[in-house]
Amino acid sequence: MAEMRAGPAPYIYVCTRMRVRKSKLLPKEEYLRMLNMSLPEITRSIEELEYKREIDELSASFHGIDLIEIALSWNLAKEYQAIIAITPGTLKAFTQAYLRRWDIQNILTILRGKRQGLKPGKIKEILIPAGELDRVFLDRLLIEDSPERIVEALKGKKLYPVVVKEFPAAVQSNSLSHMENELYKDFYQNLISDANAMKGGKLFLNYIRLDIDITNIKNLFRLRMDTFEEDAREMMIPGGTFTVEELQKLHSIPDQNEFIDALMARVRVKTLLAVLDTLRGDKPIREIEIDLIRVQIEQMEKMAKLNPFSIHPILVYLEKKKYEVFNLRAIARGKESKLPTDRIKGYLVM
Amino acid sequence: MPAEIVAAITDIELMKASQIGMKGIAAALAVGLTGLGTGVAEMAIGSAAVGATAENKDIFGLALLFTVIPETIVIFGLVVALLVLFS
Repeated sequence: MAEMRAGPAPYIYVCTRMRVRKSKLLPKEEYLRMLNMSLPEITRSIEELEYKREIDELSASFHGIDLIEIALSWNLAKEYQAIIAITPGTLKAFTQAYLRRWDIQNILTILRGKRQGLKPGKIKEILIPAGELDRVFLDRLLIEDSPERIVEALKGKKLYPVVVKEFPAAVQSNSLSHMENELYKDFYQNLISDANAMKGGKLFLNYIRLDIDITNIKNLFRLRMDTFEEDAREMMIPGGTFTVEELQKLHSIPDQNEFIDALMARVRVKTLLAVLDTLRGDKPIREIEIDLIRVQIEQMEKMAKLNPFSIHPILVYLEKKKYEVFNLRAIARGKESKLPTDRIKGYLVM
Repeated sequence: MPAEIVAAITDIELMKASQIGMKGIAAALAVGLTGLGTGVAEMAIGSAAVGATAENKDIFGLALLFTVIPETIVIFGLVVALLVLFS
């Protein structure tokens, strides 16, 4: 358990609140019901849930799919900020560190949007200000004209050293993907050092390792789907159970079955072993990713049961809430694009 | 009165007073320790109950009921203390 100067009461309070909130998340049946609805029906249905305030607030300015998307993003950001406000002591620091990943996503979205010449209002619709960079700061970045000025505006923020180092190369190569990899690597390294530096960080470290492992395995599967050979070291995040060299070795195994066998020989998590065994066939990458996400959430739930008053119940809720928003967005987007129900269902994490 | 008898009576009175004192200490310990036990138990239940009620106000009654269940421990302590003092 993390540092407890005021006794365990604040931890029990927050973890119980997270558990109650988790129990209010949508069950599988609700998603299946929504899959048979039209877009206005889905909007009405969402309005009856936790998203009422956002839908009411935004319904004057937006409608249809835009209304749903922005309401979902706002709700997610608001929820995350509310959680930071109620978490005590080191749990707050851990939660803030975890939520910094949204900063990376927001900055990359702004830079990509600017490069494609999108209007600030359009970019703003897809930002989720859940991290350290709040809505006001992101608005300030959005009105900047050039990407260079956006990079300069980040001065003093945690992301700045990596962005300023990688940005010239990204402009030259006309691709932000290398910078994105470096930002995520730096993010995970910061998480690990934060967890090591603070009392009670061991449990947080367990989660970080799991997250890094699942992300690396997902990346390995993604790279295998690509036809061109590539050095996997660049994409892999150090700090997990696997070293980068080991991951490169796994990547270089050409046969899918042999690759899965080698991976299974190194993995200890039972649920992950069971899922890896089912991935031998020609499964689409999206399904593989969703299977792996499910394993991650299941494993996190187990950790939360083992350590009921730690960072784990909070992280489980944050992750599950994120996937609820992703699912609702996938259903709404799918319905808008008139995709068949089965196809949309394949994109849901249930 | 002979000096031996006076000494014996004084001893008996001292013993009685000491017994009353010991009873008082026993009663205090019975109530005090069970009170501490109740406090420790209620701390966890109470904070969980407040957390749950903050999210869902409908369960206030049930949460309150769960919070006061450890009160039984201090009531047992009180009963034991009364028995010690007045039996």
